[in-house]
Amino acid sequence: MSIAERMLKIDRRIIFLVIGLCTLVPLLYPVGLPIKISPEVRGVYDHIESLPERSVFLLSIDFDPASKPELHPQAIALLRHAFRKNLRVVTMTLWVSGTGMADQLVTQVAKEMGKEYGTDYAFLGWSPGGQAVIINMGQNLYSAFPSDYGGKSTKELPVLNGVRSLKDVTYLVSLGAGRPGVEEWYVFGKDKYKFELGGGCTGVMAPGLYPLLRSGQINGLIGGLRGAAEYESLIGQKGKAVAGMDAQSATHMAIIVLVIICNVFYFSLRRTARMHEQVR
Amino acid sequence: MDAMVLGAWVATGLTLLIFSFLYKDTPLFKLAEHLYVGVSVGYTIVKTYDTVIVHLIVKPIVEHGEITLLIPVAIGMLMLARYVPKVAWLSRYAFAFIVGMGAGLAIPRTISSFILKQVEDTIRPLLSLAGPDGVTFSMNLLNPASNLNAIIILLGVGSVLFYFFFSIEHRGMGKAVARTGILFLMISFGAAFGYTVMARMSLLIGRLSDLIEFSDASYGRPTLWLLILTVGALFLLGRRDRAHPPDNQ
Repeated sequence: MSIAERMLKIDRRIIFLVIGLCTLVPLLYPVGLPIKISPEVRGVYDHIESLPERSVFLLSIDFDPASKPELHPQAIALLRHAFRKNLRVVTMTLWVSGTGMADQLVTQVAKEMGKEYGTDYAFLGWSPGGQAVIINMGQNLYSAFPSDYGGKSTKELPVLNGVRSLKDVTYLVSLGAGRPGVEEWYVFGKDKYKFELGGGCTGVMAPGLYPLLRSGQINGLIGGLRGAAEYESLIGQKGKAVAGMDAQSATHMAIIVLVIICNVFYFSLRRTARMHEQVR
Repeated sequence: MDAMVLGAWVATGLTLLIFSFLYKDTPLFKLAEHLYVGVSVGYTIVKTYDTVIVHLIVKPIVEHGEITLLIPVAIGMLMLARYVPKVAWLSRYAFAFIVGMGAGLAIPRTISSFILKQVEDTIRPLLSLAGPDGVTFSMNLLNPASNLNAIIILLGVGSVLFYFFFSIEHRGMGKAVARTGILFLMISFGAAFGYTVMARMSLLIGRLSDLIEFSDASYGRPTLWLLILTVGALFLLGRRDRAHPPDNQ
């Protein structure tokens, strides 16, 4: 058996091991590769930066723990930025399985930034209906969320003073891992109630959302862990996303090398087989 | 035991059990998989009950006397009629309500957002007439609004649409256009696959980052101890399988 044949029949667990090591080693010994900021991530950053103090920023945490590694760092970076800008931060989720995680996330960042619940921020929790919740919020926010996650009446929250519906929201960012997510916020929210919308999503979803970005339907897009790392770099608070970028680059390089090697072996085998046929 | 430490041990253990699938499909993986499904469903049921039944139905009716809420409750209850064959037809009213409302809400908004807006964005001028220079042509590939990109999009949309047009045989010039369409499709699939790889690697990075964090002494080094335990269990399971091979018949 030639080397090419042996390599093409290699135990797939060896490939898993190579990928595992390419991920683990840069996490243990980071190199600090440079991170270039893309215009789509800068779009979200610049818009938040341009908002006046006490503007209403609504962050919809539309994911659950399954997408935590990609979207959690995005949410932390966005919340830190919004709190630093002294915006009124209203958070919620359209995913029932993400409520506990979202509450923990918002509370943790608010505590770190010294913000007070009710005055500076609120977590409305989850309300059933997906797209219907967005439409309901567009008509009357208090009928979609009569009480916050802790059971307190939303009408009594000072952070929502002057906010009756989505029309009173200055900027909304949906961090979506699927449906309902960014697309639903555009279709049933922005398109009808005319507020500015930005998006954050998992890497798998990003190519599908680029058409919305190009047409101006969303003003920025944070895609996957890479987008989160860019946002962390923009706000100058490097976290888990930046730490993972070396590993991401190393695994991508390993996959590219594996694809090239496999193709080389495949074509060399095919060439050898053809040569054998010609000899016969 | 501190809740954080307990959480670290549970998270580490379940991560390693799931990762054991990379070696081979074992009862360890099955255990973690079933736990994941069970916990997810249990959590969803509890949260849905608390939010919908308690906070959105019972409390407003009992505490605020919002009797009108009984109308959606009654329509929702009709769904349960499916379980009683004699009155199963009643559930059709609830479904009709949901389908009608859903379609009514979704169709116009989806057409407006995903068809009209996207068509509007696709049909862009190939030459710019604005500005003191008269007719201009911007070549910047990095600018999504450049004229060159408008031409590329036009070529891409046209050729891909032609590729899916099966009433004409793809021969001669038609073949060349269809092939161009395939090329655009391949680039699109490649970009989607590249992003998918990035996403999956991000998930691996997330788990490994947690495993590194939980290898700290402040958590009691669960990564180290549970890794030894998992490897030991895999070794024992492997020996058992060799001694008593599973009967495929």
